[in-house]
Amino acid sequence: MSKIWKLFIDENIKTWKKLSTKILLIVILISLVGILGLVKIIQKTNNSYEINSSGYDWRQETESQIGYIEESLENPQIDEESKNMMEQELQTLKLSLKYDINPYENIWKNEIIRKIVDLQFEENIKEAEIADLTKKLEDNDFNGYIQMQKQELKQELDDKLISQVEYDDKIMILELKEKYEVGKTADTPFWKTAAITNIENAQNSNRTNMDENNKVLTAEKKQENEDSIKMNIYRLEHNMPQIEYSENYRTIFEYLSSTFVISAIAITAIVIAGGMISTEVSTGTIKFWALTPNKRWKILTAKILSLLFYIIIITVIASLISVILANVFFAETGEPYIYVENGEVQTIGNTLYTVLTYLAKMIPVIIFALFALMLSVITRNTAVSVSFSVAIYMGNSIFMAILNRFITKDWIRFVPFNNLNISEKIFENATNLMAINAGSFATSTSLGFSLGVLGVCAILMLVTMYDSFNKRDII
Amino acid sequence: MANTVLELKNVSKTFGKRKVIDDISLEVKEGEIYGFLGPNGSGKTTTIKMILKLIESDSGEIKVNGYDTKKQFEKAMECIGAIVENPDMYKYMSAIDNLKLHARIRNIGEDRIQEVIELVGLKERAKDKVGKYSLGMKQRLGLALTLLHKPKVLILDEPTNGLDPAGIKQLRDILKNISHKSGVAVFVSSHILSEMQLMCDRVAVIDNGKIVKVEDITHSEEDIIEKIELRVNDTQKAINILKEKFGIKPKLEENNVEITIKTEEIPKVVKELVIADIAIKAVIPKEHTLEEIFFDATEGGKKDE
Repeated sequence: MSKIWKLFIDENIKTWKKLSTKILLIVILISLVGILGLVKIIQKTNNSYEINSSGYDWRQETESQIGYIEESLENPQIDEESKNMMEQELQTLKLSLKYDINPYENIWKNEIIRKIVDLQFEENIKEAEIADLTKKLEDNDFNGYIQMQKQELKQELDDKLISQVEYDDKIMILELKEKYEVGKTADTPFWKTAAITNIENAQNSNRTNMDENNKVLTAEKKQENEDSIKMNIYRLEHNMPQIEYSENYRTIFEYLSSTFVISAIAITAIVIAGGMISTEVSTGTIKFWALTPNKRWKILTAKILSLLFYIIIITVIASLISVILANVFFAETGEPYIYVENGEVQTIGNTLYTVLTYLAKMIPVIIFALFALMLSVITRNTAVSVSFSVAIYMGNSIFMAILNRFITKDWIRFVPFNNLNISEKIFENATNLMAINAGSFATSTSLGFSLGVLGVCAILMLVTMYDSFNKRDII
Repeated sequence: MANTVLELKNVSKTFGKRKVIDDISLEVKEGEIYGFLGPNGSGKTTTIKMILKLIESDSGEIKVNGYDTKKQFEKAMECIGAIVENPDMYKYMSAIDNLKLHARIRNIGEDRIQEVIELVGLKERAKDKVGKYSLGMKQRLGLALTLLHKPKVLILDEPTNGLDPAGIKQLRDILKNISHKSGVAVFVSSHILSEMQLMCDRVAVIDNGKIVKVEDITHSEEDIIEKIELRVNDTQKAINILKEKFGIKPKLEENNVEITIKTEEIPKVVKELVIADIAIKAVIPKEHTLEEIFFDATEGGKKDE
């Protein structure tokens, strides 16, 4: 064991003394800075666009809308029903102007106005109720509005219009809205509204036992819904916006940089692995090791370990650089990862989460690197090993996308290329800006299954390369 | 009697249908420089690679310091230092760094690294990248690498390749020193005959995968036998005198007389010829006797005759 360790250290010294290793690190650093600059430029252009568009005035818009409706009402040809609707609309807009509420915004006051107008147009006008609603408007009484809705729900429950479960669910939503002031002002961040909507959807789904496609829920899906409710509540509670629903340049930077860095590391790893044995055989330096008192398998083991170590170290360094740049240059705080374990909501901090995602994305890269190493051992030809492996690395996703369309047999899920999305399976709650990949056959397999398939692949490749390296002559 | 530290017993190797090594047996003893002589393609390097298990032998037994290389590979390799074909180092690293790679694996300290660097005379260039070295310097660094762990057996494949005459002499001195003083067995392959004669204690001649001859070589000045070409005006008379006085059989080649005689006898030969009033135009040393051994034993020799 200590011999393998010493060989391992030697291999690492060798790798780090190489100029190409240092160049890779510099290239990654420069690229990250470049991507940062790009995102900053996008941010600046978009911001100046927002300033220009803020000249928009809703009052003017509303007034012109009122004028237009009034004009239409003078037309003698319109029927009674349309006329009634138009008058309601007119009344709503007028009330909005009166209480200075933007009618195009999704806030509670608009709902009250709609209610008042509804009441006004009923046959027996309930003055008391209208007065009550108007008072809530004038007092800016958001809580009163919530209380009112609660009472209405209670009434519906008493009248047996809704079940106890539905009542509980809806009360919960109202309480969340009250507590986190969702919809109170026009400034409510969109992610909060989205969180409430997500909770409502999950509740509905579990209550009716149907998913969005009207299929009966599986136990798994039910659990997912429950977890989703817990996580969304957690987000509201800890004021953690979900990135999907907010314009976040930090995230854009993180996505761009991780995509680039991972491909860069993958190709470098393949190049190193593809030359690991073949280059040493062609330059003769393999004898440098073969003439030491170490059996061949130990030499190969040290090389494999140093390859893995190299990939991991470069990945960790690159991901940390990315986090540091993001922290320094973006006002937004990094998104932590939220998940549910044993019914408890847990979080992983942004830095650790970023590093872990990068590492998870390296699992398929390691498989490709092992493949290149295997070719290197068998063919002893660097060009063949590297070019073939890089081609497969670059081309497999398109190739599999086409194949998956035409082969609908079950065995297709055993194809290793369908099991490369390990990171998405580990961090299944992760915000996915690139959700295009989702929905294929591949995503339907579990994490354990995918790891199993890749594990079998890795073992087969290792057995092949050890066998070849042990038996073949070094000429 | 010195111990046998490298032993090959009935070793054979076939590549495809061609028998490259055919039933080779040899023994190398402590403190001995053993030459392994043969033309290109005779199986020298293959034999060396089999000893080092770079190539697996088909049959036979190879023991290094008593350890079977197949069964106790690591123990056997601990006793060996070797250069095969070319000294292989990492060009982008300095000599010191290359040495350190080996030193770590073999648990060797900094002192010993300095020692071997000094021994091979690379002290001043030790921090330069190996890529900038001349072939001769690489050979010397290769030797330093093999000597690092004080091996019991030193195996060198064509070590004089790329060395200038001064370098060859230096190498010879180093090898003689470690062999005769420290008791290291040195196994050197070469096709350069004169080198072997000056360096080796014993020479095995290999041809077509078979050992055709094993010869002891003596080093004392007086004992060295040389082949000399005499250019004289009267060849027949000279041949008669030489036959008579020295009891040797001179050959007549292209109007010159060729004799094989001990170095110390040469002045006497000249003196006798002068006394006999034969005009000597030139006394030219010809190929060394090792070449004779070589050509006698190998096919190349047979063709020439």
